[in-house]
Amino acid sequence: MLFFSRWKTIFIVGLVALGIILAAPNVMNSDTRAKLPTFLQKTINLGLDLQGGAHMLLEVDLSSVLQQALVNERTGILTEFRDANPRIQGDQIRIQNGLVVGRLRNAADQDRALAVLQEMSTPVDPTQIGSPRRTEVTSVGNDGFSVRITDAQIEAIRKRTIEQSIEVLRDRIDPSGTTEMTLVREGDDRILLQVPGAKNIDEIKAAINRTANLSFHLVHPDSNQERALAQAVQTFDPETGDARLASIGTRYFPHQDTAGGLIVEESTRITGECLENSSPGVHPDNGSAIVNFSFNFRCSRLFGEMTAKNIGKPFAVVLDGEIITAPNIRGAITGGRGFIEGSFTPDSASELSRLLNAGALPAKLVIVEERTVSAELGEASIRAGQVASIIGLMGVAAFMWLSYGLRFGTIANLALATNIGLIAAALTVLGATLTLPGIAGIILTIGMAVDANVLIFERIREETHNGRPPVSAIETGYRRSLAPILDANITTLIAAITLYFVGSGPVRGFAVTLAIGIVTSVFTAVVFARLLTATWLRGTRPKSLPI
Amino acid sequence: MRDISLVRILPVEPRVPFISARLVAGVISIIAVIISMTLFITKGLNYGLDFTGGVVTTVDFGVEPPADVQNFVQTRFEGSQVQNISQPAGSLIDHDYLRISLPLQIEEGGSDDASADGEAERQAQTDAQQVAQAALFEALEGQYDNLKLISTETVSGKVSGELRRKGLIAVVLALGLVLAYIWFRFEWQFGLGAVAALLHDVILTLGVFELFQIEFNLAIIAAILTIVGYSLNDTVIVYDRIRENLRKYKKMPLAEVINISINDTLSRTILTSMTTLLALTALYVLGGPGLEGFSFAMIWGVIVGTYSSIFVASPLLLVLKLKRGSRIDAPKDDVAKTV
Repeated sequence: MLFFSRWKTIFIVGLVALGIILAAPNVMNSDTRAKLPTFLQKTINLGLDLQGGAHMLLEVDLSSVLQQALVNERTGILTEFRDANPRIQGDQIRIQNGLVVGRLRNAADQDRALAVLQEMSTPVDPTQIGSPRRTEVTSVGNDGFSVRITDAQIEAIRKRTIEQSIEVLRDRIDPSGTTEMTLVREGDDRILLQVPGAKNIDEIKAAINRTANLSFHLVHPDSNQERALAQAVQTFDPETGDARLASIGTRYFPHQDTAGGLIVEESTRITGECLENSSPGVHPDNGSAIVNFSFNFRCSRLFGEMTAKNIGKPFAVVLDGEIITAPNIRGAITGGRGFIEGSFTPDSASELSRLLNAGALPAKLVIVEERTVSAELGEASIRAGQVASIIGLMGVAAFMWLSYGLRFGTIANLALATNIGLIAAALTVLGATLTLPGIAGIILTIGMAVDANVLIFERIREETHNGRPPVSAIETGYRRSLAPILDANITTLIAAITLYFVGSGPVRGFAVTLAIGIVTSVFTAVVFARLLTATWLRGTRPKSLPI
Repeated sequence: MRDISLVRILPVEPRVPFISARLVAGVISIIAVIISMTLFITKGLNYGLDFTGGVVTTVDFGVEPPADVQNFVQTRFEGSQVQNISQPAGSLIDHDYLRISLPLQIEEGGSDDASADGEAERQAQTDAQQVAQAALFEALEGQYDNLKLISTETVSGKVSGELRRKGLIAVVLALGLVLAYIWFRFEWQFGLGAVAALLHDVILTLGVFELFQIEFNLAIIAAILTIVGYSLNDTVIVYDRIRENLRKYKKMPLAEVINISINDTLSRTILTSMTTLLALTALYVLGGPGLEGFSFAMIWGVIVGTYSSIFVASPLLLVLKLKRGSRIDAPKDDVAKTV
């Protein structure tokens, strides 16, 4: 066990040296670091609890997206039935318990209707052979059907919704792409947002809370009928946006500022997706703040047609379920350009146009967890961690020297110092994030890392006591302690890995440092310290061991 | 050159009759476990924000927090807790921060399903939390000058429930995997003994948290799992020696073999506990308020873990009637040790 071939020695020393080189930039100041070659400039990532910043866990409200998918499915079914030749007469086609269900006036139509529905059930991913279908069609009785959205399609919707949300959020919070923020999917329907050093928390929250869903609707004549409107206002449920309405295909929206709302045509083709660009501006006549917009080509035409056909009638601009403004159409707007006037301030106008430019969030986001830490608190935590580490390290080193004397104490402490270097190097290279519990993990490792050395030294002591000569005692000591060291550390490693996979946030940071510490401490105690011991033995050839 | 090495004070072959104290230790352990469990029912754990959901705000007044602030907050916000946070040693700030927690538990029934109701409820809860937080800060700002927000934390009921569940899964899973590993490496009696000792440590650690009502948060789960790791480390070292000595002393009674093994590893147990406690004490004293609970749990855990590997894990092998000689595959170096 004590013989090291030359190559092995070079390898071990090289590995340790590499670790120290990689760890070194962490203790330099930024000026010195800037002079190093780029691959050495990497330092340990500090967690938000150490550098200050905002951590938010957002939950995507998928239920509304799924509900919308059902609404679209129903609209599609109605259109296909109408366009079928001869026309399929449907009856009571509605959404019920997450299904689109319906009956047919003629039971004879059932086969044709099912065929149409099957035809509509396209693959989730058309580019993939054998991709599952979007919907599942079942016949009900001899004149009914039900359409269920398949799990594969729900998963696809979920994935798309989250990806879109992430994209939109990135554009909103960090349009210039200069902040080092993290925006990733977490779990099934969550998004993790981390903004280091964030000062504008309120702005970020505003960007999250607004879906910025814009649409233009024609105002339905029911709005002028007092009874219909009163009924809609009274039954309006702000949570779901539903209200009892007199006519089919209409929808009620409250007005942003005034008490009453309007009943509008539900279907519209002018939505936020039409927007090509928007910018804040000033009203040419009265100087109030407005939001300018321009539509893309397709929507310019649609908007032109809509306005040309409805001159003199009002249309409503709806943002996130609220009417911003409902002007009368004075003439056909063909250029695809226009502006929205409402009760804007210059600030709110520029905020709205920024949100519109970033696009609408496909679903509402709910902040389910939020943690913000000021930069000064982070700094205080780092300083406290540093002080505790250094004092802990010195205490342990002094203890080892006192216990094992100059030679073995030095070997143990060299191994300990190398261990700290290797942990820092591993954290740097892996790009792992150091959190406050992570610092605790390192300090704990300082205490526990010497364990392997203690085990070995105690074994050597025992073997010496049993009458073995120095070289043999050391040899046996190292060999015999290998199994318990591995067993003990693998079990701890199991705990650390479990913690990593089941834990979350800062706890994961702790698990990472603990796991790294276990691996490096075994290496430094079993391999590096053994090399040191072997070198010392060869140099001095002691007659007895100072232990 | 003469070298001072204090380790020589520790005898290489101590013969402390640990195993004969096993009945006393067993009684002590059982009583302690029962007390812990009773405390769990009567006092319960003081769950932190991570597990209850709610809002925690830390504010800096620029000076020591005014004396009347506690009253001010508690009369306006029902159920709120106000706590001074002292600065870590070496900090440049000479005054305490104030930590205000508002527990907001809107009981939610079956919010796990994505029904519109659960969604709306969750939304309402999140809104309520944001409103409460804003209201709190506004009220304080109206009353005191130079206020600065140091940190805020908001955890919704759903997430806190998940964190609680995940924490429990982590501990149970870790125990299970460890049991499997030790069973694989040793005999099943060892695995069972180790896990029993770990359970003992976990329960006693929880007991201390119940007794002193220290805040129990996510970091404490990490601490408990580390205690599991540490105590295991200790137990495995002793077990390894027992296994070795069982081969060495084929005729000796099991109790004696176990006692010799505990004694063989005693100096190592003492030294490692000392270094670990040294590092942890530094962390407890100097690490700042963020790590106080964590390092306290760890210190207690190291003490209990060391105790349990000597007085619980090892004697349990006797109780579980460890069979001898069932492992024939003795390592070769044991046979050929004539050097």
